[in-house]
Amino acid sequence: MSVAKKHNIDLSRVPVTPTDKVKPNWRKALGLQEMGVYYALALLIATLAGVTVYIGQDNYLSIQNMSNVIYQTSLIGMMAVAMTVVLISGNFDLSVASVAAFSAVVLVANAATWGFWPAAGLAMGAAMLLGLLNGAIVQFVGINAFIVTLGTMTAVRGLILLYTDGRSVSVTAPEVTDIMKAFEGGRHEGFWFILIVGLVLFIYGSWIGLRGIKAGEPLRPAVVGYLAGGLVLVLLCWASGGELPIRNPVLYMSIFTATVWFTLSFTKIGRRLYAVGGNAEAARLSGINVTKYRLMAFVFCSMTAGFAGILFASRLRSMNPSGLQGAELTVIAAAILGGTSLFGGAGSVIKTLAGALLLYSLTNGFNILNLGANWQGLIEGCVVVAAAAIYTIGDKRSKSKTGG
Amino acid sequence: MQAQLPIMQLHGVEKTFANGTTALRGVNLNIAAGRVHGLLGANGAGKSTLIKILSGAYAASKGDMIWRGKSVRLDSPKAANKMGVATVHQHIPLVPTLSILENIFLDDNGLWRNSADLHRRFDALSKRMGYWLDPDLAVSDLSIGQRQMVAIFQAFGTGADLIVLDEPTASLALDERELVYAAVKQLSKVEGKAVLFVSHFLDEVMALTDQVTVLRDGVVVMTAETGNLNESLIAEAIVGKQVAALEHAPRHHARQSASGVTPRLTTKNLASGGKLHPISLEIAPGEVVGLAGLLGSGRSEVLHAIYRADQNATGEVLLDGKPFGRSTGAAVAAGIGLVPEDRNRQGIVPDFEIWRNITLPALDGITSFGGVLSRKLERARGWSAIRTLSIKASSPDILVTDLSGGNAQKVTIARWFFSDVKLFLLDEPTAGIDVGAKADILRLVRELSDEGRSVIIVSSEFEELLAVCDRILVMRDGRCIAERSADKTSEHELLLLAGGHGGEDDTPTTPQELNGGRNA
Repeated sequence: MSVAKKHNIDLSRVPVTPTDKVKPNWRKALGLQEMGVYYALALLIATLAGVTVYIGQDNYLSIQNMSNVIYQTSLIGMMAVAMTVVLISGNFDLSVASVAAFSAVVLVANAATWGFWPAAGLAMGAAMLLGLLNGAIVQFVGINAFIVTLGTMTAVRGLILLYTDGRSVSVTAPEVTDIMKAFEGGRHEGFWFILIVGLVLFIYGSWIGLRGIKAGEPLRPAVVGYLAGGLVLVLLCWASGGELPIRNPVLYMSIFTATVWFTLSFTKIGRRLYAVGGNAEAARLSGINVTKYRLMAFVFCSMTAGFAGILFASRLRSMNPSGLQGAELTVIAAAILGGTSLFGGAGSVIKTLAGALLLYSLTNGFNILNLGANWQGLIEGCVVVAAAAIYTIGDKRSKSKTGG
Repeated sequence: MQAQLPIMQLHGVEKTFANGTTALRGVNLNIAAGRVHGLLGANGAGKSTLIKILSGAYAASKGDMIWRGKSVRLDSPKAANKMGVATVHQHIPLVPTLSILENIFLDDNGLWRNSADLHRRFDALSKRMGYWLDPDLAVSDLSIGQRQMVAIFQAFGTGADLIVLDEPTASLALDERELVYAAVKQLSKVEGKAVLFVSHFLDEVMALTDQVTVLRDGVVVMTAETGNLNESLIAEAIVGKQVAALEHAPRHHARQSASGVTPRLTTKNLASGGKLHPISLEIAPGEVVGLAGLLGSGRSEVLHAIYRADQNATGEVLLDGKPFGRSTGAAVAAGIGLVPEDRNRQGIVPDFEIWRNITLPALDGITSFGGVLSRKLERARGWSAIRTLSIKASSPDILVTDLSGGNAQKVTIARWFFSDVKLFLLDEPTAGIDVGAKADILRLVRELSDEGRSVIIVSSEFEELLAVCDRILVMRDGRCIAERSADKTSEHELLLLAGGHGGEDDTPTTPQELNGGRNA
């Protein structure tokens, strides 16, 4: 790519003047639209912590309980992150939970004969094929993704019933269950790791913040984000008193989310994906292969679902044909809580993860406070609708305010 | 048929908008029952404003509207309908999921939407119009021509006495136009309705209308019986002796493909279904070629076929003598950039800031480690685009949706300046933007050409083509019907070629034998 040097209209030559400063819009950056899910999460945790202390139960904020919530979130969280990718590309995938269950069944049914790793590979392959099928029907036949994946959701569940003949399958072979235990149930002492990540975030934030201040730029919201994130992790380490067990699924989820976040935010692939969802025709006319990006989003989502299914099966070491039923709705709810647009082109995987944590904190809170499961559905539903209302109203406001 | 007392008269109608633009400066218009009145004018001459005043969508700032001898004031389209004026707008506003019957009687106040009574009324309408459609078909299943007929039925069904047709044939195929012509003749000659017929096609205006009014810059410059006119006279009235806003810069470089030089672009039998008939082109490096044509003439289709954005296109495309793959990605990689016609739908990504819109097609130049983007470089590109093209924005962080049309258009053009684009395809780059931005964009085209880049521009403003192009191809009905060197043609001639059958070219397009409307 030669940036035309011989031309009169050589845009690369135009000097960047010192007025080039990112003007942060703090009002927007800290508004409900951008930060709502974090506020809601913080508010919920504070409330639960306050109530548990007040009524004299074990503190909600205990390391034990917090790591439990995060552990419970991990599978749905990963699928929600992948769902966010599909939503950003402008599509929709209702079949995640069925695909995850299918992958789990394939693993459990084949692990005894083939061994764990080949069976896991088979399960992943099957899941990716299903994703390819979803994507191919949506992109090449041109049916709405909602309808297609509604169909595959049901059909794949039917496939599971056929495959298992409607019965639970399980593995008992010790050589397989040992690997499963290690794969899913392994724990790591994460104190130092988290401490280092926290410090790195904090130091990086301070560094770019100080550099900006020296250059006379105003403070950017991203700097505060790094500082706050780092601080939270360091405080967590301090509060833990030196012991922070991380279970494998949480580790997987963290690495996975960080990778997806980085790809979406800082790479060509991410930029093009947002463009495809934001305006497919404009993306196509800019030379982007829209079909490929959308297809790959489906495959990626199903692949993640397949991995989640493997973790799920490894956790239980058996699989019920109706396992994970309904989980797709939790996955989508998490993405919506995170402010992902159902029309494509907008969304953040970190916020989606916060949305998933919010949902599981609610569930966990209900259990801890013994409020009874009957209330749970009602409250969760209201939270999702309230979140969507905040995003929609905030969106309209911000559009009417900016006018030139 | 002699002209009786006009059913609708406009006296000194003026329209000034809140922002100070004056669209009409004292227009007089007399429309008589039983006659077809043609209304013509270039883009921005005030045709649409006049139609909106007639249909009650706008109120005139000054002047009188006299309906059947009585002065009236319309405050809504509904009031106009009630009075007896029905308008068929260019973009046919039908409900695609409803049936033909339901669409035609959409305004009807009955309780039942599919009663026998409605069917009877529909039958009566079809009989009188001499045109039959299955009333229970959904509108979405109809061709554009049939939809146009449904819209005409709708207007006719209200029992209106004045029917305004705003460019009813603009997006129709030849055979579909005939349907509309027959309907117009039926309405005026047999039913005795007054018809105001707006069109860019000079031949159909000549064949169909009894009387012609030409608007220019908000003023009526000609009103005459069609029998006393010819296409050339009308074209002259439309163009006028305009003071060209752009100086015609001397273009002394002869850019016509000299022998021995590989053409920048070669197309061989490039075609696309029924929309574009095979076209073979050669464009030299640095040459600026204009595609003159009316809406639906196949001009955008040529660009999309070259750019490989049209999946159904057939034929060969070579850039600098080399073929490239069949995808927009391959075209971009080969060095072609397209600025699409519909800025909002095809051009910008609305959620993106200026800088992210600008870097979209050329992300390779600003990445490291195999794909990680440098925000600093990206924003620098945003700044340089803002400076060089004088985009009115305080920083590249502004959302493109917050820019005015002209500035957003500059963003979609600036995209292509950061990679080595050898051929620019500009589709109506100056549509709907202010004069200043227009001049900026045209100046830019010249600069691109001076650097040896080739440009193909599509425009319905022929004056602009004459100002910047070396060579102009005229499109009509999906064919390239004429080729002119820009210094050997005139706006007048282009208008005749694009809108009629003027010129001595081997025009395979013989417009229909229409003579029903001319016996005034």
